[in-house]
Amino acid sequence: MAVAAPQHSALAEHVHHAPKSFINRYIFTLDHKIIGLQYMITGSLFFIISGLLAELIRVQLMNSDGRFLSPEHFNELYSVHGSSMVWLVIIPLATGGFGNFVMPLMIGARDVAFPWLNALSFWMFPPAGLILFSSFLVGAPDAGWTEYPPVSLQGPPGTSMWCVAIFLIGISSTLTGINFLVTMLKMRAPGMTFTRMPLFVWAQLATAVLNMVATTALAAALLALFLERTFGIPFYDPSHGGSPVMWQHMFWFYSHPAVYIMILPAFGVISEVLPTFARKPIFGYKMIAFSSIAIALLGFMVWAHHMFTSGMTPWLVLPFMILTFIIAIPTGIKIFSWVATLWGGNIRYSSAMLFAMGFIATFTFGGVTGIFLAAVPADFQEHGTYFVVAHIHYVLFGGSVLGLLSGAYYWYPKMTGRLLNEFWGHVHFWVTFVAFNVTFLPMHWIGLLGMPRRVPVYDPQFTDWNRVASIGSFFLVLGMAIFFINVIWSIKHGKKAGPNPWNARTLEWMTSSPPPYYNFVKVPGVLHAPYEFDQPLPYVGLEPAENVVSGYKAPMPAGSH
Amino acid sequence: MAQQARSTRGLGPGFWPVTILLAVITAVCDYYVVVTPVTTFLREAASPADQTDELFKFLTFFGVIVMVYTVGYLVYFGIVWRKKKSDPEDALGIQVHGNFQLELWWTVLPTILVIAIGWISVKDWAGIFYAQGGQLAVEAIGYQFGWEFRYQGLQNPVPDELHLPLGVPTTIHISSRDVIHGFWTPEVRLKQDAVPGLVTTIHITPTEVGTYRIVCSEYCGARHGYMVGKLIIEPKETFTAFLDKQKYLQAHAPKGPSGLPPGVNLANGTASAGQALFAQKCSACHSLGAFSQKLVGPGLGKIFADPDHPKLVDGAAATPEDAAGIINSGFTGDMGTMPNAKTNGLSNDDIANLVVYLEGVSKGQ
Amino acid sequence: MTAASLGHEPHHDDGLALYREVADIRLLGFVLFLISDCILFSSFIFAYLYMRNAAPVWPPTGVGLPDANLAAVNSIVLFGSGATMHFAMENWKHGTEVKFRRWMVATIILGALFLFGQGYEYTHINATWWGSTFGAAFFTLTGMHGFHVFCGIVFLIILLNQTLAGVYNKKQYFGLVAGTLYWHFVDVIWVFLFFLFYVW
Repeated sequence: MAVAAPQHSALAEHVHHAPKSFINRYIFTLDHKIIGLQYMITGSLFFIISGLLAELIRVQLMNSDGRFLSPEHFNELYSVHGSSMVWLVIIPLATGGFGNFVMPLMIGARDVAFPWLNALSFWMFPPAGLILFSSFLVGAPDAGWTEYPPVSLQGPPGTSMWCVAIFLIGISSTLTGINFLVTMLKMRAPGMTFTRMPLFVWAQLATAVLNMVATTALAAALLALFLERTFGIPFYDPSHGGSPVMWQHMFWFYSHPAVYIMILPAFGVISEVLPTFARKPIFGYKMIAFSSIAIALLGFMVWAHHMFTSGMTPWLVLPFMILTFIIAIPTGIKIFSWVATLWGGNIRYSSAMLFAMGFIATFTFGGVTGIFLAAVPADFQEHGTYFVVAHIHYVLFGGSVLGLLSGAYYWYPKMTGRLLNEFWGHVHFWVTFVAFNVTFLPMHWIGLLGMPRRVPVYDPQFTDWNRVASIGSFFLVLGMAIFFINVIWSIKHGKKAGPNPWNARTLEWMTSSPPPYYNFVKVPGVLHAPYEFDQPLPYVGLEPAENVVSGYKAPMPAGSH
Repeated sequence: MAQQARSTRGLGPGFWPVTILLAVITAVCDYYVVVTPVTTFLREAASPADQTDELFKFLTFFGVIVMVYTVGYLVYFGIVWRKKKSDPEDALGIQVHGNFQLELWWTVLPTILVIAIGWISVKDWAGIFYAQGGQLAVEAIGYQFGWEFRYQGLQNPVPDELHLPLGVPTTIHISSRDVIHGFWTPEVRLKQDAVPGLVTTIHITPTEVGTYRIVCSEYCGARHGYMVGKLIIEPKETFTAFLDKQKYLQAHAPKGPSGLPPGVNLANGTASAGQALFAQKCSACHSLGAFSQKLVGPGLGKIFADPDHPKLVDGAAATPEDAAGIINSGFTGDMGTMPNAKTNGLSNDDIANLVVYLEGVSKGQ
Repeated sequence: MTAASLGHEPHHDDGLALYREVADIRLLGFVLFLISDCILFSSFIFAYLYMRNAAPVWPPTGVGLPDANLAAVNSIVLFGSGATMHFAMENWKHGTEVKFRRWMVATIILGALFLFGQGYEYTHINATWWGSTFGAAFFTLTGMHGFHVFCGIVFLIILLNQTLAGVYNKKQYFGLVAGTLYWHFVDVIWVFLFFLFYVW
């Protein structure tokens, strides 16, 4: 079914000269590809720092008596770890990083709708991170990434810095959401109707809507918390008439859609990687596209499933529970469609493919434990325990991170012109996959048996499994170290990739690696969705990619001014 | 033009044997799920814990099916549909876009399952929400960082220990004095947050005698991890005896000077040890400034040298001996509750060290 | 659309097609920005409704509700500025620039009057920002709205200057469209706030 196709675009012919100075080309660049790389580098740095914080947590928890760190320091560690991973790593990498680099290329655009705004969004990101991490100097936030009042009203000065930092990155996210949404709605290549869009673009479309609508709700909650901490304006403190549960409503109204912001782009990656390496179309394209939108919409209606024990109006748990169960259905459709994509394939085991398949295993498990959490009576046992910590990490690490790593192996050649080393990619995968499960699987168990979360000490009966988890986490670090060394080494020494090393069919592969600053010599017309491997490429008017000069050296395309 | 490497006849080599194998694995795992009582791993101390355990088993039963089949087919397809070395580089997979029947079933069956899970969960929720209670009513009040419990007929709350009689439908009203805490006993399978300004309620009927941990399940400050109370389920007679004893103790509680606790020798105290202890155990609630520099409790910087406050908050004189006494016994007043030495994990030597340290601070050292 | 019509060599036109495309993109972006701004107000409105519902007595003891009559007058001023903005735009589209400028100035003046009215109310109301949940909600929401009005006035002044410098013409005036949209948005938000704080 083709919806009215985007027409011939005057904007697409309007190609600017490349900026001349180094600063304008690579630092204060307006090029979505370089901005995407800036996000990836910054996000990766925060990932490493935040991961090391987690390692300190795991070292502490090897023993039940809290002998390593003071409780105050420990509480700061997991609070900054969680906040950083959500707001400084996964959301920026998934949207600002991969979304920025890949999405405009995939829709045949020359850039995003508002390149200056794009750069502004990025430049809010490092300061936000600096503010958050410098809070360690004055007492970092210590009440978890959720900072529930009234205890967060008592928190150290870092809690206020947390409000500011997250507010700032929130503005960045909202602007990115608006930017991407306009780009995908208005700047697709001629002929690219919605049903000819690649699934990664569908995923980014759903994500952009969430980003744009939900993030300002968080801004409101943070502003109120900041005002109360700083000026005593009574929103949340019950001794002044405020309501602690109200914070939870306001916070989770954003933060539940936020988890879909974190997972949908990873879903999009999987939907691209699986067909490419199985050499066959994605199974159930329309249902996968539709389910992304369904998940995004339903995602706005389930926030209070984080609040089943909060003391909110009792019967309210029921509609939130039912709606949460309902989200399982489009999610299940996706998972089954991905597995069915493998059936009948001619599978090549690149590192990207391994991570995509590993994702399916771990994310599905996370989805199943999500059902356990959605069932209110079961949640009465699970809430606030390590069961939740386990669930979070199965969907965020086993889901988002593995998905983004698959994307990294997949698109690194497009970004750099070189391939990541495949042998070390396989090592990275197996070390990570095994270590991940060793680390997080036991946490379900000890959570159910009685270990709460956010504790620097615990009942000695849980010591053995905590030690297993900690040892697993050390190997996770090893795996990620292998990855980052591979990334750095391959920039100079990786095998040269050429325009389309994976023989894929989406538009980003139809130009050089890395692409010229204007992306395409001529914006092609699109005839069909890009998943028919036994057909000729569904594009008209493409300059053969081998003829395209990459990077900023590329000459202006003919006919532009 | 690139070609499909395999034909579309059938569902692929070994599909049905693998499907049957996965069914066998599922059956074996689910057999153990069904026959193994949850109490093998964690006791059930009160109803409706048994109902929740049945729900867990139900969820696990279907979770196993989903995981075994999803991961099973993932691995199996991943092996069987690999590109063979003999395939040409441009070999393709079978160019299939979807299958309406299959997609219909994998939408309809999960929907039915979700409806079933939803139905049972609503039923179980109602079983919890409308559970019998009320024959006995107790208040559980969380504070930073402990619990205290109010029983009908007792004037003062009882710290740390919630005693409940076996078999009596009980309502527990949960609240907090300061920040949000979480009231949770794993063996009861129920938790509710203790929220300041609100009262949350659970109804349970204790079914098994024993001593269980009450774990704080909502971050509440620096010592959240240390905030553990005791749930003691005992026969009715023992419970009545407990209440009587508490009545007696409260009626005959010593008023006035706390006095030096037995076993505390102030002469052995060292200020440096006391300083470390203060930072670790006391500084969350007490500053070293003047009395008025309250965090939770009063500032202790001038405790022995403040003409405006010649008495401690419990009415005893502001002397080292009585300071040792109040640390030992704890105190509940209108600023909140200071846990006793046992709850704080303070030995007699620790008390001595703290008092000697505070003496030095009062003198300006 | 056939394969033959896609990907053909571009034909040059008078730049208007490019402008229209860019204006279309910017309009969507601006509308989406306003939607996200709506969510900001909606969140605080949620907070106000929640706190009001949870309070045992409303208004909280010691707090005086704001004067609805003053606010009504102020609202007429603000809605009037919406009307003057509309007239300004009508004149622009008809090419009568002088009248356009007059109506724009009227809009700016009315907007400023509204802010003065707010300031007067703030100093005469029997409630403080920090003193009660009513104050928290009232001053935060009306304050945020007032800040939006202030930014709108600055926006309109800039636009007025731009028209004087000849940035826009009868066919290309996206900036003015954005300004009008923003100004009406501020009006619509005020309708809700007026109802929530002065009527209900």
